[in-house]
Amino acid sequence: MSTKGTNNKVGSVMVVGAGVAGIQASLDMANAGYYVHLVDSSSSVGGLMAQLDKTFPTNDCAMCVISPFLVEVGRHLNINIIPNSELESLEGEAGAFTAKLKNNPRYIDSVKCTACGQCRQVCPVTAVNEFDCRLDLRKATFIKFPQAVPLSYTIDKNVCIGCGMCEKACLAGAISYSDQARFSEIKVGAVVLAMGNELFDPSLFDTYAYSRHPNVVTSLEFERILSASGPYKGHLMRPYDREVPQKIAWLQCIGSRDINHADHSYCSSVCCMYSIKQSMIAKEHAETPLDAAIFYMDMRTHGKEFERYRERAEKGSGVRFIRSRVHTVEPLDDGGLKLKYIPESGEVLEEVFDMVVLAAGFATSKDTKALAQRLGINLNAHSYAQTSDLTPVSTSREGVFVCGTFQSPKDIPQSVMEASAAAAGATQNLSEQRWSLTLTKELPAEKNFSEEEPKIGVFVCNCGINIGGVADVPAVREYAKTLPNVIHAEDNLFTCSQDTQENIKKIILEKGINRVVVASCSPRTHEPLFQETIREIGLNPYLFEMANIRDQNTWVHMKTPQRATDKAKDLVRMAVAKAALLESLPQVTLDVTQAVLVVGGGVAGLEAALGVARQGFVAFLVERSNELGGMALGLNATWQGEPVLPYVMQLIEDAKKNERIKIFLETEVGHVTGTIGNFTTTLKSANNPLDTKVINHGAAILATGGKEYKPHEYFYGKNPKILTHFDLDAAVRNNDKALKDSKIAVFIQCVGSRTEERAYCSRVCCIHSIKSALILKKLNPEMQIFIIYRDIRTYGLREDLYKEARQQGIRFIRYNKDNPPVIDSDNGQELKLTVKDHILQRPIEMNPDLVVLAAAILPNENKTLFEHFKVPANSDGFLVEAHAKLRPVDFASEGLFLAGIAHYPKSIDESIAQAKAAVSRAMRIVSKNTIAVDSVIASVNPDRCAACLTCVRTCPYNVPRVGEEGYAIIEPSDCHGCGCCVSECPGKAITLKHFTDDQINAKTDALFYIEASC
Amino acid sequence: MIVADRKPLSEILDMITDRDKILIMGCKGCVTVCNVGGVKEVQILSSSLKIARKKEGRSLTVDQITIERQCDPEYIEQVKATINDYDAVISMACGVGPQFLSEAYPQQKFFPAVNTKFFGGATSHGIWEERCAGCGTCVIHYFDGLCPVARCSKSLMNGPCGGSSKGYCEISKEVPCIWDMIVKKKMEQGRLDDLLCFTPAKNWRTSRDGGPRKSVREELAI
Repeated sequence: MSTKGTNNKVGSVMVVGAGVAGIQASLDMANAGYYVHLVDSSSSVGGLMAQLDKTFPTNDCAMCVISPFLVEVGRHLNINIIPNSELESLEGEAGAFTAKLKNNPRYIDSVKCTACGQCRQVCPVTAVNEFDCRLDLRKATFIKFPQAVPLSYTIDKNVCIGCGMCEKACLAGAISYSDQARFSEIKVGAVVLAMGNELFDPSLFDTYAYSRHPNVVTSLEFERILSASGPYKGHLMRPYDREVPQKIAWLQCIGSRDINHADHSYCSSVCCMYSIKQSMIAKEHAETPLDAAIFYMDMRTHGKEFERYRERAEKGSGVRFIRSRVHTVEPLDDGGLKLKYIPESGEVLEEVFDMVVLAAGFATSKDTKALAQRLGINLNAHSYAQTSDLTPVSTSREGVFVCGTFQSPKDIPQSVMEASAAAAGATQNLSEQRWSLTLTKELPAEKNFSEEEPKIGVFVCNCGINIGGVADVPAVREYAKTLPNVIHAEDNLFTCSQDTQENIKKIILEKGINRVVVASCSPRTHEPLFQETIREIGLNPYLFEMANIRDQNTWVHMKTPQRATDKAKDLVRMAVAKAALLESLPQVTLDVTQAVLVVGGGVAGLEAALGVARQGFVAFLVERSNELGGMALGLNATWQGEPVLPYVMQLIEDAKKNERIKIFLETEVGHVTGTIGNFTTTLKSANNPLDTKVINHGAAILATGGKEYKPHEYFYGKNPKILTHFDLDAAVRNNDKALKDSKIAVFIQCVGSRTEERAYCSRVCCIHSIKSALILKKLNPEMQIFIIYRDIRTYGLREDLYKEARQQGIRFIRYNKDNPPVIDSDNGQELKLTVKDHILQRPIEMNPDLVVLAAAILPNENKTLFEHFKVPANSDGFLVEAHAKLRPVDFASEGLFLAGIAHYPKSIDESIAQAKAAVSRAMRIVSKNTIAVDSVIASVNPDRCAACLTCVRTCPYNVPRVGEEGYAIIEPSDCHGCGCCVSECPGKAITLKHFTDDQINAKTDALFYIEASC
Repeated sequence: MIVADRKPLSEILDMITDRDKILIMGCKGCVTVCNVGGVKEVQILSSSLKIARKKEGRSLTVDQITIERQCDPEYIEQVKATINDYDAVISMACGVGPQFLSEAYPQQKFFPAVNTKFFGGATSHGIWEERCAGCGTCVIHYFDGLCPVARCSKSLMNGPCGGSSKGYCEISKEVPCIWDMIVKKKMEQGRLDDLLCFTPAKNWRTSRDGGPRKSVREELAI
């Protein structure tokens, strides 16, 4: 920890790059007590993710998932978005930097602009729309996309003819042609770099005909083609003639894993998965059967639920997977594209496709490289920020952190994890300045409407064309006006956009509206946003009701617009009926216990506990065994070759020395009660269950780890020449002579992974095998080494290892699942291995002296522990996060977080990043003195209670108890508001606030046109 | 507690087939606790009957009330003013309810909506088991808390019989043999010798065999 200039430390942080990683880092830090300056060169935040159609492996709509984050970052009091700006220089040192920014002109004052769009309507200039990947046009005055934050127009001066039309049309007087670049200075304590990547430009390749033919598109262009808000409004068409394609080919590794054209040798990590996603979504979009073929080298589906996703594409959707690198794309006269390729069988095939999608990889942009140079950040050979595996989010400059794809190519959840990790790193040394520069929001007092008749305002969303393109939104709006108690109804292009929020507030005040109904999308994603809006003008957030006329209506009834309109009316009628009975609920705040429980003393747990302590809070570190260190104690080196043991030993020593960390060895979690901010956990000795301790904590991080599978396959345990990775690491540590003397060593991949029994990929084994093979080669350069694999998954920059292994003469033999290698063990000593070689197409035999099984990584069995915390595990036993994409470290239950292999097999650098991320997420809670708890909770009417214990027995969180007075008691602070007891109570003694019987009955009565009966 | 099961809807519908205005009466006692005749079940039955009638194209008016207990005249008295406004009344209490109601209101027709089954308790939520047969002469202490009267298919006092197999009773693979359990428990506690003494035939006159029973507590009777 630096002690220099402690007094000068600044309680604000700068984030450069406002993609999904930058947004996550900003939100984490702003919610944990730091003022954040979020800088982006673009006119709005959102980055690459905003351009995506759907996200793998859940097929959630990307814009729908990210837009609440855009809005939150846009309206956050402690996040200052600085668009159109570049970081020019960074002077000073960690804790007190001076950042010089160049603020490029927008030519439209974003403070004055109301985003009314008049400037766009009058603009005579047409330009290509870069957001739609040049597949569409826009005006010179434009916003990137309708949900853009900040929502204000800008002028593209490169195409503007300066006609002055917009200046005349702008009633707000926001146009300023003379706008100049300005320079500004900001003092910050730390910097997080999240500039992201650009896509590789395939026009460099002539063979793929990208620049010669419009039907050859990049994967990002195809995302826009599939997107409902894209150039073709979600209709699957090919650019050349707008015909519906019957056959589409995806070509993998364009600009990745290729060194022939001065492109990139690394793997871009995400392309296999997005191509699978695109092929499945394209099949869904196509009105006629679509033939989708993916041409690939290795299928890299190494993430959580990815392997099953691929299975689903192949077996469920009928996507063809062809292992081949296509060498020629030949345009035909009719717009078709002839592909010549050599499949595994070896013959040369030709096939004509209607469209070709190039799975373009990631690349660091020129601007990013220049910025790194200006800041003095070291880049690695691939122009990514150089980081150590043991400090994966720290750059070469102290106080400057990195996350997302500027660190290395990676997918969204990994970027989000790193973003949180970088946030934890950036704020770690600033904790004494926490809350020093943040602003607090003054909310007006809530108005009391209890004496007033309901006056309902209804806002119907078009959601671009998501709703309005199917249902007749004006008809729904007019219908809403006829409903009881409705005094105002209108429709909006996007009800969730920032300008509409302002408009809603204005109308509520003007018309005296005291209940608000929004008919749009899912309350799951958007309810908090609208609730916050109405609270800002004094309405209790619970005087709000949503009708989901998109996800549950226009999306599923796309082909029957009239019936979708009718259903939208039904849903609005129901929402209005409930709205009339809505009541204000008080906002309860509770004191927070500013301590964190960390379960599991491996690397993830140690990093988490140290992270919490370094942020200034107490961490309870509980470990079941009698030593700290976990699985890492058996590992020799990270993938970049950094020794693991000294690092783990240092971690353990630091944890033991740190007075804020209380370590409990040979201890298990016995019982957990409480909710976010206030948990009470009973710890019990693993040796003596009667020896218990009770601790209080505001959050908990589960880092319960995993272990290596002990194979039943291949005579493991019966023959001393057959080892697992951990066995081999131990043998290397012990300088086992047998290793050096081995003449032939064979690694067998996927032992226990990607099988019927265990469908997932264990992610780390390919890398571990290659790393170990290289070590063996170093021990004995004469050793013949074979790696028998199904797909080599050296994702990201780890591809370097694969390249090196091949250069060193390590040989790779592919097998498929149905034809695995076979070992014969004569009299238990001599081994005979037979495998069918994929090139020779015939079996080959060898007598290895050493066989290393790349055994699967299993989660530790912790059924009871998970039950205590009420956290879910998937069918493989890994913990299930709140959202696969944007909440990869949180559990759905608030205040609980996960890190490390308990989540999914991962390498040590990824575990460290996730542990740091968990710290950052927990800081949102424990850095505050008080926390607001949910008002939607169950309450008991004692007169009706039969003390039957039904609630006690059905509550999944063990909250209700029958008190001494003889009726059930449910502590408001403990209740999760799930409603299980409410629906089970045989005496109808329990009510869930905001979901009362009266309110629900009013909805169903409204559905069936029954006059109010209560 | 008295444990009951709801009768099938079709049976209840048949009962009220020629009635158009009915009252459903719940009970806050045992039947609420065993999730069969409390406020919630009354509401569910009410809705189910209305929906079923609507499908037949006929309407049905249903009122609902759940009283403290249907086995006390004072509580039954509470519905006096309106009880004869209905074509029929459905009681969701145990068998005691419709009888007390019929005695109090001879003009009205009362239908039982539940089948009263046994005295027992919930072993877990949703599962109730018989524990007491109300035999009138409790012998549980002889058998270490396991009652052969209620829980042996033959109410044997000296068991097990030849029908006990691998811990289960010959009547069903799902019914544990209580005598097997008694023997095991005695063995665990080192008191197997207790079972060497012959338990004489039980006097069943205190049970149903002696005819309808009555309990008179002179010190309480006013």
